Amino acid sequence: MDLKIKLPENATDDIVYSLPYKFANDGEMVDGIFCADKEYIYIYADGKLEEQYKISDFSEFTCRRQIGSSMAQGIKENGDAVCFCAFTQDMFARFGEVMKLLEHYVRTGELITETDEDEPVCPSCGLPLEGGSECVYCKGKGSTILRLLKRIGPYKKYFITAVICTIASELVWVFMPYIDRIIIDDYVTPKLIDWGGFIAIVITIVSLLLVGGVMELLNMRNSFKTALSIGRDLRQEVFEKSQQLSMSSLSKRTAGELINRVSGDAAKLEEFITANGKDAIVKLLSLMIIGGLLFVMNWRLALMTIVPVPFVFLIVKKLFNVMALRYTAVWKYSKNHSENLHDILNGIAVVKSFGSEAREIAHYEGCSIKWAKACVRAEIMWYLTIPFSEFILTVGNFLVLYFGGSMILGNEMSLGELIQFTTYVAMLYEPIIWLIHIPRTLADTSVSAGKVFEILDMQSDVRDIEDPVEIDIKGDIEFDDVYFGYKAYVPVLKGISCKINKGEMIGIVGHSGVGKSTMINLILRLYDCTQGEIRIDGVPIKNIDQHSLRSQVGVVLQETFLFDGSILDNISYARQDAPFEEIIKAAKIANAHDFIVNLPDGYNTRVGNKGYQLSGGERQRIAIARALLHDPKIIILDEATASLDTQTEKQIQEALGRLTRGRTTIAIAHRLSTLSNADRLIVLDKGKLAEFGTHKELMKQGGVYYDLVMAQRETTKMKNAPLKTAQA
Amino acid sequence: MTDEIKEEVYEVDKLTLLDCKKIALKQEKSGFLTLEYDGRTYSRVDPTRLIPFLSKTTYISLSYENEEKEFREIGVIKDMKELSGEQYKLLDNFLEYKYYMPEITKVYSIKDNMRGAIFVKADTTSGEKTICVRDWYQNFRMLSEKYLYVNDADGNKYFCSDIEKLDRKSRNVLEMFT
Repeated sequence: MDLKIKLPENATDDIVYSLPYKFANDGEMVDGIFCADKEYIYIYADGKLEEQYKISDFSEFTCRRQIGSSMAQGIKENGDAVCFCAFTQDMFARFGEVMKLLEHYVRTGELITETDEDEPVCPSCGLPLEGGSECVYCKGKGSTILRLLKRIGPYKKYFITAVICTIASELVWVFMPYIDRIIIDDYVTPKLIDWGGFIAIVITIVSLLLVGGVMELLNMRNSFKTALSIGRDLRQEVFEKSQQLSMSSLSKRTAGELINRVSGDAAKLEEFITANGKDAIVKLLSLMIIGGLLFVMNWRLALMTIVPVPFVFLIVKKLFNVMALRYTAVWKYSKNHSENLHDILNGIAVVKSFGSEAREIAHYEGCSIKWAKACVRAEIMWYLTIPFSEFILTVGNFLVLYFGGSMILGNEMSLGELIQFTTYVAMLYEPIIWLIHIPRTLADTSVSAGKVFEILDMQSDVRDIEDPVEIDIKGDIEFDDVYFGYKAYVPVLKGISCKINKGEMIGIVGHSGVGKSTMINLILRLYDCTQGEIRIDGVPIKNIDQHSLRSQVGVVLQETFLFDGSILDNISYARQDAPFEEIIKAAKIANAHDFIVNLPDGYNTRVGNKGYQLSGGERQRIAIARALLHDPKIIILDEATASLDTQTEKQIQEALGRLTRGRTTIAIAHRLSTLSNADRLIVLDKGKLAEFGTHKELMKQGGVYYDLVMAQRETTKMKNAPLKTAQA
Repeated sequence: MTDEIKEEVYEVDKLTLLDCKKIALKQEKSGFLTLEYDGRTYSRVDPTRLIPFLSKTTYISLSYENEEKEFREIGVIKDMKELSGEQYKLLDNFLEYKYYMPEITKVYSIKDNMRGAIFVKADTTSGEKTICVRDWYQNFRMLSEKYLYVNDADGNKYFCSDIEKLDRKSRNVLEMFT
């Protein structure tokens, strides 16, 4: 990354970082430069040196992201902060890097001037590279349609057969006008009765039609085979990609949008290949063959037929851009519409409970109308221009009829010849008209293809290394100076170091938003830490095969997700081949067996959409049984009992006690009493590990944990006090 | 039960509207503001627009971080007009820079790379630029019938308060994307 973009005048060679900024520290807009050498930071505004700060006066350097701008700050040992300057967000990555390097400098005394961080944006298109070294947009710039056609590769056998059959059937149709000409010139015009010849002609026509029909049949079979296979491949790939991508990439898209891409867009591409992929080759071939024939028959008349063609193509070229935009709008509104539908139906319980059905109906209607309007706009544009250009195209036909007629009168041409000629002209217009229609299809398809390839081109930010190891996890976990932020340069966890031993139960406590769930996400490797390392049994987590890691970690969350299916399906989701007895054992340990027995359909009871036919506690116990069957080495409990009443919580606690026995367990709970049986507690405060020890030790220390416990006791007292008064 | 809820949410359910006459703001070296109000001094005060798309000078929340670095709201300024001229200028200046958002005044062209990103060539109040918008159907959208909000790939924000007031060509270019 270039950290010396704009140097002040008379800059010395000692300057190591030099970046432009837009706002002085009082918010005034200036044309400024922030630069630093080994000792000082210099702030220039409008060409003049305004301020000078000694680097060693500061202990911390940060970038603080605001809404439309961000500021670079230095923090002194006593906590005093100084704003050096502020800048627009496009400079954030560079300032962030400089601040990181300056902090490294004051901490270690090592001044890094050449950073190996990648440039934040692609030099050619300006889009951020987001950690990649190449721009995915510029690298694979080849036309999306071409990429789509390349997918025919594995099915070329079927595709080529389809093409050959179509050419053969087209040839039959090209031959037909010649027979017409023979009938007219040799039989109709001279009124000749020659039954032998006539029957021969009839037999030829019938056999040609038969051959044509068989060819058409073979063509359809092979085209569909190709298109449906490609469609299936695309759907499969998009779905697989959605399963492989990291949580951070996936959280940018709604479920509805992904569903749309897996089914809707892939289907459109499939349709395109069936209808047009092969046609493109055949139509172009027939254009050349028929065009050639026309010129051989009569080049002057042939010229007349093609006079309007350039004009038509000019119109079509103009049309392509406009149509592409109009169809993008159609795509956008149809996407809005289906996402809206997905959202509302998913949240139907909320809609009903607030009685806002009428509002949602109106909202849905709005989306639906917008979509319809966009379609109308695209179609109107299309139907206004197309008949007109088709008309211009057929002007050539009138010219042919006029001059051809004159030629017949002047005995330069026979009637049969003219009819053959005009039939060919009509046949020539067919591929040309197809070419006119192609912008619409191409525009429509390239939008869909773009959307599908966008997903396929996405790079997961959590990737396995080249040779990942598969380990049999014992349960030691170590955090070594771990930094992490969901957005680069905005750390949520800062310098976390701790060692969790095999079989230990660890509770993570702290205020909400302090990074408790983030720590768990890092152990699950849903994200990669930005600095430092996490090791499991001494192996860096980045070297462990992701599948191997997650298959040995069991998770029970606050909100349990059950798939639509039976209780049996949901428990055995953890291990498909588990014998039924083991499933019952797991359910027993999870305190779930007893309530399942009381359900009329037992283990075959359907849990309904998202498990809403069961109570929260029942769902939770199924989730615990599922985790148990998984036989994980590490267990993660994220607020597993938070939404349950005390009685149910007790039952679940029992079940959890059995689940966690002998396994490394990491639990997050807001209610500190839930963590009473934890061996040790990690206390997070402002993203840092504030305390780590047993309940007793931490209470003795009287620090953050002590305050938390006291605050909760206060709240409990407050909650109980009015009740007691009321009871009294 | 009602008592219990009252106890618990007592602090949060109180909206403190600040008396503009008592407000004395000063610019700090840290880039934040210092506020003297009702005999108390708050340093590193961070003003926030509560409804940034609807109003720039009403409902401004003033907050700071206490020693435990916890968020504390001092109160809300209902309308900045009540402030003295000099105080208004200081606060407005800070907000304008915190929420720095150039306004789009003319749109020359929009190119779609057909892979989710668009490139908007436009004139803005901070000069002519090509704005790269990723996932444009999320980041290039109308917040109302007239208000266009753009969040570019770097995180810079742009807006156009009324697209109807743009010239005809700009409106035509925008039509397909809004």
